[in-house]
Amino acid sequence: MKHRLALLCALGSVVGPALPAGAQEEVYLKVTSPGLTRVMIALPTFPSRPGTDPGAAASLLATLRRDLDETAVVGLVPEENARLAVVDPGNPTLTRQRWRAVGAHFLLDGNFAGAANQIVLEVRLWDLTSGEIAYSRRLQGAVGLAPTIAHTLANELVHLFTGRPGPFLSRIAFVSDRSGSKEIWVMRWDGGEPQQLTSHRSIALGPAWSADGEWLAFTSFLRGSPQLFILRPTQGYLKPLSTLPGVNSSASFSPDGKLIAFAAGEEGNTDIWVTPAQGGTPERLTHTLGISTQPAWSPSGRQIVFTSTAGGSPQLYVMDAEGTNIRRLTFEDKFADEAAWAPDGVRMAYTTLVEGLFQIAILDLRTNTRSVVAGLGNNESPCWSPDGTVLAFVSNRTGTKQIFVTDPVGRPRQITTEGNNVQPAWVAQVQ
Amino acid sequence: MSGPLSTKPLAFVLCACVALTLSCAHRKAVVAPEPTSEAPAEATPAPLAPGEGTTEVRPEPRVATAGYPESGVTAGELPANLEELNKAGYLKDAFFDTNKSELRPDVREALAADASWLKEHPTVKVLIEGHCDERNTEEYNLALGWRRANTAKAYLASLGVAADRMAAISYGEERPFATCHDESCWWQNRCAHFVITAR
Repeated sequence: MKHRLALLCALGSVVGPALPAGAQEEVYLKVTSPGLTRVMIALPTFPSRPGTDPGAAASLLATLRRDLDETAVVGLVPEENARLAVVDPGNPTLTRQRWRAVGAHFLLDGNFAGAANQIVLEVRLWDLTSGEIAYSRRLQGAVGLAPTIAHTLANELVHLFTGRPGPFLSRIAFVSDRSGSKEIWVMRWDGGEPQQLTSHRSIALGPAWSADGEWLAFTSFLRGSPQLFILRPTQGYLKPLSTLPGVNSSASFSPDGKLIAFAAGEEGNTDIWVTPAQGGTPERLTHTLGISTQPAWSPSGRQIVFTSTAGGSPQLYVMDAEGTNIRRLTFEDKFADEAAWAPDGVRMAYTTLVEGLFQIAILDLRTNTRSVVAGLGNNESPCWSPDGTVLAFVSNRTGTKQIFVTDPVGRPRQITTEGNNVQPAWVAQVQ
Repeated sequence: MSGPLSTKPLAFVLCACVALTLSCAHRKAVVAPEPTSEAPAEATPAPLAPGEGTTEVRPEPRVATAGYPESGVTAGELPANLEELNKAGYLKDAFFDTNKSELRPDVREALAADASWLKEHPTVKVLIEGHCDERNTEEYNLALGWRRANTAKAYLASLGVAADRMAAISYGEERPFATCHDESCWWQNRCAHFVITAR
């Protein structure tokens, strides 16, 4: 086992991601752990048995290739390299060696079958070092579901390598003014299929998912003053959750989905409260002078990070989930807000102020070190992908506020264009 | 050699390599995909038995679009005379420094004049809206606007305006009066704005 680990790491360092040319001014926001290298998979075209819908097979394979190439943990052997690997059907050992020679750690082979509007895909993932089958699977569904089948398979492969959910069925809730008022929308993680969830024609803000993707909490001025609402996107119903005096903003679900932390307060005060997600009596957690807002739960559910002006400027503080043991986290920033705890529980992304511009910073809680990731324009509202490998954030670098997602080497890619789009909230899968 | 037996240690090793923070939970998660057919010892793929290791892929649940009942109360139409009353500008707005909710001396003067006018017109009721410029984050600004509105309200109350004649709301940065992206607009948006809601 040990020698295999060493070999794979050595391979990884040889084929690790290289920074593409022409990206020099924009290479940043590399939030993946240092030393992380991608597992390279060879994915040759799968043969089809008679009866297979050729369009569905092509769409499935194209989607699978695109998905696997877009993660930070799994990569595809580039086409020009894959062409060099000559497959010898009579000699699997030689074939494995040839794939390894072009940088592959694994080979995904498979075949399509299908009948009566169904498509069936059988795949095997070969460990090219040991020659063992690491994973095999048969997936089937309606022909029209070819992309979903591909996303499902890509998710399983990422899960196999990381133990965390893949992003391919994930969705991002966000706030957009493209319809004329600020409403809650949801889209695929790559920006596809935007759908409008609210039509309040007032102001909707701050969407937050329950971890299971069943519930979405947000703030709406639907009834005049801001109130906290919860809705179930697949069922289409909405209910008020907090009508306390004040802002009723910044909802954050506890990891078990049972509680929602949020900000509210009377007479100009704003403090952190928690309330049962399915309704109940809110309980006040902080009693700070000034503003305390933007709570976010730790992945363990034991702590809550929040923004407070208790010490003057807005800074990040952390407390136990019961509201005790409050301590300040940020000291180097003129301004710190919108903390988002990474799924690993170790890193925290937040919005800081550098030379008059808002920028994303990452705080490592083990070493208590902070790194600012400077980008063009103002950058704010960081949000982790469910697997913790990349960030979504908002930038005004194009003149309007748009959502960007970093790619595996840390380059931001704009995923929205219409109107202004802010406050991304990312969930592994909508239930 | 079976599928599960070969998958678990392999994936474990991979995780140790690619993810720095490995825990027992991850190890458990790695084996979560259903184990499938027996893998042959030699590198020749055996066909999967029918039904074995099959994942039936169903459509993702459909997300209902904008179909929520809007049972809430919508803001009523203000009578024309109130609109004209508000246009007349009897009440001066309170302006604030960047990131502040404290009242400047010039603002205290303006609010003192507002208090006198309100005491001369004891039936008038006002909504005090807290606003912010576009800098800072949306939700911090919502809290800052709430603070500004209530600071103005508390000052008027200290000057003898009955608290039940005044309501406060924050719009944060969501309803700017001026929309350019520099101080010539920002100062206009950092305010507590008065709206007369009853004569």
